[in-house]
Amino acid sequence: MTLTTTEITSPGMTLNMGPQHPSTHGVLRLVVELDGEIIQSCRPVIGYLHRGLEKMMEARPYRHNVPFTDRLDYLASLNSNLAIAQAIERIGNVTVPERGQYLRVLLCEINRLASHLVFLGTFATDLGATTVFLYSFRERERILDLLEAMTGARLTYNWIRAGGVPTDLPEGFGERLTAFLDEFQFALDEYDRLLTGNRIFRARCEGIGVISREMAVAYGASGPVARGSGIAYDIRKVAPYDVYDRMEFDVPVYTEGDCMARYRVRVEEMRQSARIIRQCLREMPEGETMAKLPKIFKPPPGEAYSRTESPRGELSCYLSSDGSMNPTRVHFRAPSFFHLGLLPAMLPGVKVADVIAILGSLDTVLGEVDR
Amino acid sequence: MSMQRLHPRSASQAREILIGVVIAALILAALSATPLLPWHLLDPIRAYFYERPLLNNLAKAVLLVSFMAVQCLFLIWMERKFAGWLQARLGPMHVGWKGVLQTFADAIKLLLKEDIIPALADKPMFRLAPYLVFVPAMLTLMVLPFSPNLVGFDYHLGALFALSISTTGALGILAAGWGANNKYSVLGGMRAVAQLLSYEIPMILIVLCVVTLKNTMSLTQIVERQAGLWNIVAHPLLMIPGALIFFSCALAEVYRAPFDLPEAESELVSGFHTEYSGMRFAIFYIAEFANNVFTAGFAAILFFGGWHGPVLPPIAWFTLKTLLLIFLMMWVRWTLPRLRIDQMMSFCWKLLVPASLILFCLTALSVVW
Amino acid sequence: MSATDRKVNVLLDILISLRSFLKGMWVTATNLVAREKVTLQYPYEKPQVSPRYRGLFYLPFNEKEQRLNCTGCTLCEQACPTKVISMTKLGAGKHGGVSEFNMDLGRCMFCNLCIEACPFDAIYMGSAYELASYDRDASVFRIEDLAQGGKRSVEINIKTISEALAEEEKAKAAKAKAAAEAKSAADAKAASAAEERQAAEKPAASEPAPSASPESPA
Repeated sequence: MTLTTTEITSPGMTLNMGPQHPSTHGVLRLVVELDGEIIQSCRPVIGYLHRGLEKMMEARPYRHNVPFTDRLDYLASLNSNLAIAQAIERIGNVTVPERGQYLRVLLCEINRLASHLVFLGTFATDLGATTVFLYSFRERERILDLLEAMTGARLTYNWIRAGGVPTDLPEGFGERLTAFLDEFQFALDEYDRLLTGNRIFRARCEGIGVISREMAVAYGASGPVARGSGIAYDIRKVAPYDVYDRMEFDVPVYTEGDCMARYRVRVEEMRQSARIIRQCLREMPEGETMAKLPKIFKPPPGEAYSRTESPRGELSCYLSSDGSMNPTRVHFRAPSFFHLGLLPAMLPGVKVADVIAILGSLDTVLGEVDR
Repeated sequence: MSMQRLHPRSASQAREILIGVVIAALILAALSATPLLPWHLLDPIRAYFYERPLLNNLAKAVLLVSFMAVQCLFLIWMERKFAGWLQARLGPMHVGWKGVLQTFADAIKLLLKEDIIPALADKPMFRLAPYLVFVPAMLTLMVLPFSPNLVGFDYHLGALFALSISTTGALGILAAGWGANNKYSVLGGMRAVAQLLSYEIPMILIVLCVVTLKNTMSLTQIVERQAGLWNIVAHPLLMIPGALIFFSCALAEVYRAPFDLPEAESELVSGFHTEYSGMRFAIFYIAEFANNVFTAGFAAILFFGGWHGPVLPPIAWFTLKTLLLIFLMMWVRWTLPRLRIDQMMSFCWKLLVPASLILFCLTALSVVW
Repeated sequence: MSATDRKVNVLLDILISLRSFLKGMWVTATNLVAREKVTLQYPYEKPQVSPRYRGLFYLPFNEKEQRLNCTGCTLCEQACPTKVISMTKLGAGKHGGVSEFNMDLGRCMFCNLCIEACPFDAIYMGSAYELASYDRDASVFRIEDLAQGGKRSVEINIKTISEALAEEEKAKAAKAKAAAEAKSAADAKAASAAEERQAAEKPAASEPAPSASPESPA
């Protein structure tokens, strides 16, 4: 009799990460097959936050649709407002006054700062550095105070409308904003000292979750994720809207494609946003902030598509009109949705702890994915 | 320059720091006056207990456990306060002056909570696990000499006893992870055991260095033989890297960041104690802090001369050193990110183990010379 | 890479790591000692909200005209994307107002669209923000909760409006009566030329009545 070796196999463990998991950033569920601590396969399950926003918008006049977009990307709702506002303006042939355009750029960049600060905090917390979260939220709170002074709300602003911005800046806003930006530079330097150089942080980020240039293109990645993979693609430069063509700013690009590259892109983008905000404050002309839209807004039949650079990537909005008061179809191209698609390709082979790092570095917002 | 520009501290908050310093100074002053107290009045009681060894030991055990429980409650408050201040928050403020009684309120709340055992849990194991963690944590404290005559059990193999007992805590954590029948718990439990067993090796080697230098295994003796100079001053070339390695291992032994993988809340929800609530959870928590106290005290004994120090009484010195080391642990915990499991393992096996082996050889050589 | 190189690299790495840790710990230490603590002890200290803050709605009370500004034109109702507002009109036209004005804040997005839609400055958002309740019904705010001055101003509002409406009604009735009489007088005039003088006197007498209320309903 010969001895036969039986291969000892144990069935893998299926782990449900989410929808109630501290680090899935909302109600994302990842069905993960584990072999020990190593991921065999991953299947993202989405839809826990589906509210049918696009369908709801079809049943309402154009003007009513803007506040719903606050609930798409709730960390940068002004950027979501901008996407649909631009689409409505295109379909209705509305021109935004110049001051309105400057205000929009200003507000969007302020909101980008707030959103990237949330990324910074949550990403660091995912990796175990809880303190950075509190520090970045401390700065974000001051941004929210500024936005509250401007718009009256702290999260769902609804202050970029079809036609422009409903109100001008409040008294003393420019001075407050400049004072904040002056301090913010130092805050960013501090985060660099605390986090970027840290050996453990680098060990957790460098070479983890690599997205190659080809893969980023194939999966439709955009925004910081694409720029972290060496693709210098920024809608603000590629297809400038509002007054971005007059702004001087750099598009940070890193070629490594790992978590560290994406992190660095976002930190660098915060510095660039600060630059844009200063330019806006300096160059803003006087004048009207909002174009007058007719009381009953009925755009001519047709379609419109707007592309904007939200903090998460390319946020676009498609509208079609049949000449009536309501749009016949509204659709958003949400960047987070495409980035979640990268997960099944990226995760096999990494450790459980890396899942959190990779997901955090993609910086998805589930409100935008599920709509 | 940037330090002053960002969020400068207001005058009222600066005053709070001053108040804290004054209070600490007052406590130290009171402690330094303790030898003047009429301790001889207690002699009859001492004599009574001395004649009855069983009762004596029982009294010691009760004293130790109750002292540790209270100290843990205080330490938890201190850690929360420390973390709060470090994170630009205020920390607990509600119960008592500056929230001093917060942990007492939490403990009462935990006691009153419904005792939840998951339906599919391995119930005996689930019930047993907290005690398997708690008992070793308390036992290790038994051999820790707080002062020349304040030691639960002056064992001549104290170092060995402490190390071997503290390792058995891993059993309880594995039991907790397995018994809860939760996948996160299992992962946490397995991580805990792997981590503890790996980091035990460099830790033991470093302890061996000290034992070789001082030629004794008794913790009291180790402290007494540092009377002139603390180990870290007497043998800086050996003991500074030794203390660093020991400190890293100690962080891993008590599952603190950057080695808090068994309970990494962002990955494993809460690791091995995900399913625990109420008093069982509190027991885990107290055991964790007791382990903290033990490792910090152990480090103080091995490297920083235990109770030795000028002016203040021995107990005060020992407490001070232990507290400072605990503060250092908290400081590290709230600053650094968490390592990944394989990085942590390779850090131990590829760096700490060889380094501690080399250190041990060097120590042996230096002793032979 | 030679073995010694590797050893040097490992040592360098350790030193670099330690340096990066110390840098980070320095940052946290400065925050511990030198920075302001930013916590706001919320239920005890309330945040200062900005003048534009979008909190609980209110209907301003017009002291001069002793009524709420709202005319019941339903423009806000139409402007609301989530159908928060429902109202019961009290009359119509210039003297019109509302007797009931309900806002179901359980579905409100606080989007400011109703305020921008109002041509009469009749609805604003105030600074009250603690609006959570244990009861769904409690999230429905009625006119007496929303009106500036509460129940009293609502009563005054209703009184002023109904008086104005009654007057208007009276004027209308008088005008109608006058018109009817004028008509009958005209009929009579057409019927009988003999009564012409008698009929012409009456409309002249009733003429001041409609002019007593200067604005006639649009």
